[in-house]
Amino acid sequence: MNTLSLITFIPLLGAIIVLFLPKDRVRAIQTTAIAAASVSFILSVALFFFFDRATPGMQFVEHADWIPSMGISYFLGVDGLSYPLLVLTTLMTLVGLIGSLGVKNRVKEYFFWFLLLDVGMLGVFEALDLVLFYVFWELCLVPMYFLIGIWGGPKKEYAAIKFFLYTLAGSVFMLLAILAVYFNSTPHTFDILALMKAHSAWSLRFQILVFLGFYLAFAIKVPAFPFHTWLPLAHVEAPTAVSVILAAVLLKMGVYGILRISYGMLPLAFHWFLPYLVVIAVVNIVYGSLCAMAQTDMKKMVAYSSVNHMGYCLLGIAGLSATGFSGAVFQMIAHGIITGALFLLVGVIYDRAHTRDIAAFGGLAAKVPVYGAFMFLLCFASLGLPGLAGFVGEFLCFLGAFARWKVYTAVAVLGVLATAAFFLRMLQKVFLGPLNAKWAELPDMTARELISIAPLAALSVIIGVWPGWVLNLMNATILHMTAFVKP
Amino acid sequence: MLEHVYLIALIPLAASLVILFGFKENPRSRAPYLGIAAMLWCFLQSCAVFHRVAASALPLSYEANMEWFRLPVQIAGKAFALPLQLGVLIDGPAALMLCVVTLVSLMVQIYSLGYMHGDPRLRRYYAFLSFFTASMLGLVVSSDLLVTFMCWELVGVSSYLLIGFWFEKPGPAYASKKAFITTKLGDCGLYVALLLLFTKTGTFQISALRESVAHGYLAGAAATAVALGMLLGCIGKSAQWPLFIWLPDAMEGPTPVSALIHAATMVAAGIYLVARTYFIYLASPVALETAAWIGLITAFLAATMAIVAYDIKRVLAFSTISQLGFMMCALGAGGYAAGLFHLTTHAFFKSLLFLGAGSVIHAVHTNDMRRMGGLSKKMPITFVTMVLATLAIAGVPPFAGYFSKELILKAVYQHSPAMFFLLAAAALLTAFYMTRLIMLTFLGAPREEELHQHAHESPASMTGPMMLLASLAVVSGMALAHAGFIERLLPLSAAAPAEELAAREFPEWLGAGVSVLGALSIVLGFLLYRGPAFETAKALKRRFSGLFELLENRYGFDAFFLRLVEAADALSRFCFWFDSQVVDRVFVDGWGLLTLIWAEAAQLVDSRLIDRTVDGFGLLSLDLGGGLRALVRDGQVQEYLMYVAIVVSLFAALLLMR
Repeated sequence: MNTLSLITFIPLLGAIIVLFLPKDRVRAIQTTAIAAASVSFILSVALFFFFDRATPGMQFVEHADWIPSMGISYFLGVDGLSYPLLVLTTLMTLVGLIGSLGVKNRVKEYFFWFLLLDVGMLGVFEALDLVLFYVFWELCLVPMYFLIGIWGGPKKEYAAIKFFLYTLAGSVFMLLAILAVYFNSTPHTFDILALMKAHSAWSLRFQILVFLGFYLAFAIKVPAFPFHTWLPLAHVEAPTAVSVILAAVLLKMGVYGILRISYGMLPLAFHWFLPYLVVIAVVNIVYGSLCAMAQTDMKKMVAYSSVNHMGYCLLGIAGLSATGFSGAVFQMIAHGIITGALFLLVGVIYDRAHTRDIAAFGGLAAKVPVYGAFMFLLCFASLGLPGLAGFVGEFLCFLGAFARWKVYTAVAVLGVLATAAFFLRMLQKVFLGPLNAKWAELPDMTARELISIAPLAALSVIIGVWPGWVLNLMNATILHMTAFVKP
Repeated sequence: MLEHVYLIALIPLAASLVILFGFKENPRSRAPYLGIAAMLWCFLQSCAVFHRVAASALPLSYEANMEWFRLPVQIAGKAFALPLQLGVLIDGPAALMLCVVTLVSLMVQIYSLGYMHGDPRLRRYYAFLSFFTASMLGLVVSSDLLVTFMCWELVGVSSYLLIGFWFEKPGPAYASKKAFITTKLGDCGLYVALLLLFTKTGTFQISALRESVAHGYLAGAAATAVALGMLLGCIGKSAQWPLFIWLPDAMEGPTPVSALIHAATMVAAGIYLVARTYFIYLASPVALETAAWIGLITAFLAATMAIVAYDIKRVLAFSTISQLGFMMCALGAGGYAAGLFHLTTHAFFKSLLFLGAGSVIHAVHTNDMRRMGGLSKKMPITFVTMVLATLAIAGVPPFAGYFSKELILKAVYQHSPAMFFLLAAAALLTAFYMTRLIMLTFLGAPREEELHQHAHESPASMTGPMMLLASLAVVSGMALAHAGFIERLLPLSAAAPAEELAAREFPEWLGAGVSVLGALSIVLGFLLYRGPAFETAKALKRRFSGLFELLENRYGFDAFFLRLVEAADALSRFCFWFDSQVVDRVFVDGWGLLTLIWAEAAQLVDSRLIDRTVDGFGLLSLDLGGGLRALVRDGQVQEYLMYVAIVVSLFAALLLMR
């Protein structure tokens, strides 16, 4: 059964149906979109029961010739590295769509682009052919451009074009790198699994060149310092649900690419790059959290906290150990859930108050206790409180990196402190203290908002208390990936 | 019953969740009774556990684990999924702490019935109290340092929630954040220590770590680094110098919460962690010495600060810091049992002191001791219990504090006589500032008639727990020290394989001397703060105003940390400026600008050079055409045909010739 294809293309089917619906049938458009995303989500969760946790290799593989003359094939599959991300994508898309029900303007196009974006993201995590990977990768770009550029905030055009050009610039180098590995493999192939075995014939020099091509594309997506400045801008301008997807899934494509392609296909260059990667990771962590501390806009603060949190992933990867890799993957899941929920929460207050200025509020905890409780829970999850998802990812990343990079890791721990500082300061200014009389009529969360946020909050508790459910999925794959690594 | 000891931590957790989600917010809510019932059960279970441990001839160490999750690791060249354990480890210290924590928490919860009566958020209050206690109990029983660390942080977050319980007021909101961040600063050290510990030994399990240390896998610099990192965490949590700044501010929370924080949870966690990982400290003399000195400095500095405070709760807060310093110093000096013993007795009399202070505040609605005075007649039970607690903390025989403090002083003397004298001085200061507190609050004439008029004894729900704790403050020292029981319960050998400590004889007269001097400082306090206006003390203050100011400013430590925060803020603003102006403007938009310039240049070349050339060719052909036309301008068609024929035949000839 072609489950993976179904998961990927049911949203496409939904998008096409949406295209054919009249644009004033808002209800039908929303229902179609959510139904498509739900089916995709349910199918991906159903795989949970069939996923073999002991197999390190690819599962649910689908292989068909696409352009045989050039060795391009339609090749999908998931393993312990990509399967958790697949579920994260379908889940966050569904949550994002529910969070988008409030969109009033050009509903039809919005849901069309949103579903198309979903197809691209799912494909990236499943594709095992570089051309297919590249197609899906680029497929994410255009919908995102329109979603930010049409439904965004005041500076939406600037943010959208910056996002688009920046990411495209990275993609161009990736395309070059893909062509380079194609022409240097015998027989010429785009098959990622085959290329993983081909690298022994490549010189270090060649690997480094190819690595840098891929790295540029991935680093811009992660985003790794100094390629991160599109992120705060895009987040601030993007509509809430798009921010959610951007933070929860799109950034993960970069980290996934580094693990799957840069590490898998170019191990020599990866080793060569490690000392730089760890520095970048520490800069992301410490510098990102310091930048977040300086923010007055809640959304921008959460955006910079993403820079900080993705730094943990990079640190785990730079550790080049089984623990670090599992930490990086776990952190991706945790960050996706937590930061996705935080963006939704920031959207909740913005919808009511039409401002995100931290200083504009005060004492809200007494007025909107449910909202306050969720915000506290998720901020604590994000700052790495043990018992919640963020801690496990963060701790495993640090643990995995420590054996190799003692001093860098110790410095990065300061970033954890700064993260706690800016989240607590925000909580204090917004929720504690005397109630700002301006918000005396602020209503608490609605049912729709609760439906999109409560499951994420629950998940952040569940996988924080019982991380085994996620770790078991990836352990076999990650042990296999790092089997030949020298400590 | 030992098989189900984990329930002692889980039942309060369940209670807190049930209270939080199962009850409606209502000042008459029945939620408190659920919390109290759960804690009573836990207390009884703890007593049973304690009995089991104490009754066995050898200190029983009971451990039970279950798999929590599997973590992919590479250890010694092998890659595998290492199971991490979730479990309990019960030994003498753990059993003792279980009793202390559950008892104090039970007393605090009963007391809160009266103290928090009518609070609109009673349900939330009790849910947080249960959660706080559950985290602490988890920390006490956990067999795994990672789980301990998790509980440790949960203790931190519950204290955050409780200190900031009255969050509408700016004071508690600020204090709760300060407490969390300051302890988190210490936790960074603990965090790194855990990373290093795992890297060296490949386990977080306490029993396995003990094996590792015994086999010398963790020794030398690594052991010192781990021990110091952990010590940093304990300095934050147990409010030791220089991270003690959060504790006085934490007084902003409800007073029963202060009692809990200061006696049984939170600050006790640091001392307990040092005791729990004592075998690592024993492997590192440097870390032990550091702990001893940190404790000593803390004990002394905090005692001096307590002398000048007028806020009744702040005096007690400084007193807690000072007493924790005693414990830390004892542990550092090798007095393992002494430190834990003092932790126990201190829990009883300090929680009592806070509950008493709460009773006073409840009666007069102020924390300022300058506005009290003469309350002994109005509040006899509070007065008597507070006096008993004061005698206990001052170390007057035969009250509880005497035995534990004596043990500490003995251990410290055996370690270093110089440290002993400083610590003894701190002990004398303790007696003095506690006398001062009693004098200002309860004795003499009332300084504010209005407040005094309305003052009344607290209800039985408040005085009951106080009386029970008072009886413990009197007898617990004697009972536990009886026939060396405490040293049998908390043997150093359980913490580490036999370690020979320098045996220096502790002269009897020194102990007696300290007691006599302690009595004298009580008398001194009595004399200085006699009379309604305590003129003598005020005169002294005028005389040494510089010194008093230094003490009132807490030696400038708060100011120092505030400046640190300001520096971090400035750094963060700089980083953001750099990010938006340099990285984004120059690095990113710069590329854009370069591209634009390149495009303009290309456009220039294109329009001026290439396009002109094209146009040039056009013009050239026009010119050429014009010229040709001038040559043959007569309009004769035959003539044109002739030219065409000539040209064609020429081309044909050329082609054929090839």
